[in-house]
Formats: sequence, C-alpha cells, structure tokens
Amino acid sequence: MLSSNNILTDKTALITGSNRGIGKTIVETFALNGASVIACARKETKEHQAFLNDTSEKYGVTVRPIYFDLANEIEIKESLKKLIDERCRIDILVNNAGVAHGGFLQMTTLKTIKEVFEINFFSQLMIIQLVSRLMMRQKCGSIVNMASVVGMDGYPGYSAYGSSKAALIYATKTLAMEFAPYNIRINAIAPGLTATEMATQMEKKAKEILVGDSAMKRLAKPQEIANVALFLASDLSSFINGQVLRIDGGLK
Amino acid sequence: MTNLDKYNEVFFTNFQANDSQISTLTYQSIPAWDSVGHMGLIASLEEAFDIMMDTDDIIDFSSYEKGKEILKKYHVVI
Repeated sequence: MLSSNNILTDKTALITGSNRGIGKTIVETFALNGASVIACARKETKEHQAFLNDTSEKYGVTVRPIYFDLANEIEIKESLKKLIDERCRIDILVNNAGVAHGGFLQMTTLKTIKEVFEINFFSQLMIIQLVSRLMMRQKCGSIVNMASVVGMDGYPGYSAYGSSKAALIYATKTLAMEFAPYNIRINAIAPGLTATEMATQMEKKAKEILVGDSAMKRLAKPQEIANVALFLASDLSSFINGQVLRIDGGLK
Repeated sequence: MTNLDKYNEVFFTNFQANDSQISTLTYQSIPAWDSVGHMGLIASLEEAFDIMMDTDDIIDFSSYEKGKEILKKYHVVI
C-alpha cells in the first residue's frame, strides 16, 4: 500500500466490483487518499461489510455499500437512482466490475458471448449513462473504465472477453469527446494478467503465454492497477482524457 | 419564480430564444437545438427542477410543448 497523499480529499468515488481483487484494492487506495467511497457489489456478505467498516475506520472516511447485479438492468437503475434521490455527489466513477471468460470461439455459444457483453459492456455503459448525468450537473467528474490488454491485442481464446473490452475502449474514446464540454474526463486502464482470483481460474497454458509475453515476466499486483486508477481519478491527470493506459509490464 | 418561468428561462439561456419563438421550438428547428444543445437543455432542466430524467424521456423530449408533458411524469407541473 502507498502512503497517503490525500489527493482525493473531498471527493466521492463510486467503485463497482468492490468485494475482491482489483476493486477491493482500489477501494482501500482511494480511502487512504481521502475519498469517500460508495462500494458496489453484487451481494451483501459479512466479509464485504467487515472490509468496508475496517476501511472506513482505518482511514476516517465514509465507505458505504450499494448492491446490484450487473446482469439486472432494473437493479442497476434503482440502486443508482437512490443515490441521485439522496442528492449524493459522485466525483469519480470506477467501472471495475466485470466477468472473465476464456475459450475459443468455436467452443463459445452466442448466448455466452451476449452474457459477457451484458456485464462487461452494456451494464458499464448504463452506469456511465446514469452517473455522468450527475457529473454533468456538477460540471466535473472523472470516469475510469477497467479494460484489458486483450481488448487491445488479439489473443487466442479471448474473442468474447476481448471483444467486450475492445467495445469498452471504443466507448471510452468516444465518450471523452461527448463529456469534455461538461468537464468530465473518461479514461481506461488496460491491465495485463493480474494476481487476482480471476487469474487463478485461467487455463495454465493461457496464463503462461500472457506472462511470458510480458517483459517483466510476472503478473501485475492489484496495487499496481489501483495506483493508476488513483492517478486517473485524481486531478493529477487533469489533461488526460480518452486514453487507455496499459499496465502490463511491457507486453511484446 | 413559477415553474413556467423556470422552464422558459432554461430555454432562453440554452438557446438564446426570444419570447415569440419559444413556444414553437422543436428539436433541430434552430441551430442551437442540435444533439449537443439537447444534452445541455436536459442538464439545465434536471438542475432547475432537481429531477433525473429517464433516457426514453430524453429521447422523446422533441419540443417545448412535449417537454411540459414529459416533466409532469416527474411531478413538475408547468
């Protein structure tokens, strides 16, 4: 964990996928830097609640949960509308939640591809659509989308996942232009393979290819991804917009 | 300030429209009310009336008059 520079003091960040992996690290990193956090997850669990309570206590910031399933459009809408009704301010949105999928196209049903897109692309767009409206009113905001290097480079076995991330990258670039007049920036992070639970679900061979292609020959640490999310969310990156930052240790 | 005053004010400010033309305004009937102008109009209305419009309503907001009808859904009577 980095030491605090309080670069997010007085900011409120909404972070999806906050219960594990990169999202959980982002919650802690943002809290350490003074942000109030709205931590989104699919289900309420004792572990998640305990983590949020500990984080809040440790860093002296508000950390509150909201729960919705990214596959459920109505749940997303209702949960976010509650925040809007409460006149909650959201300065930062980190669209981190997503679903991993690997498999050759010939072994992937169209139904599965649609499900991957539903979570990794359509639900992200919907969250952006709702939260950006608040940001437009505030005339400021920073949105960080979690893409992937496989959304930028072709890798066998990633047709569904990679395509969904490529779509998110395209949306990031387009929305940067649509939102700029409202002083809202939107950028994406493209991590290489990262040491999270998601990586453990991967086929060994596929993992070796990705790690082998990295100049640094290792997985990324969740903290290394969270640090870049912090930078993009903060005013330190105030003139960076519509960009995709690779965090891959130098992929070939 | 009545709701009608606030509503008109949003149109005046966003489109520099005058009193005589305001009630006949429709989407894309003047250069200022293009797609970019439309998003600015919606943001201003949401701020003025403290509401959050659904995407379908943003799309359906095709004229000054239609807008009044849509705002009723959000308990804003003009």
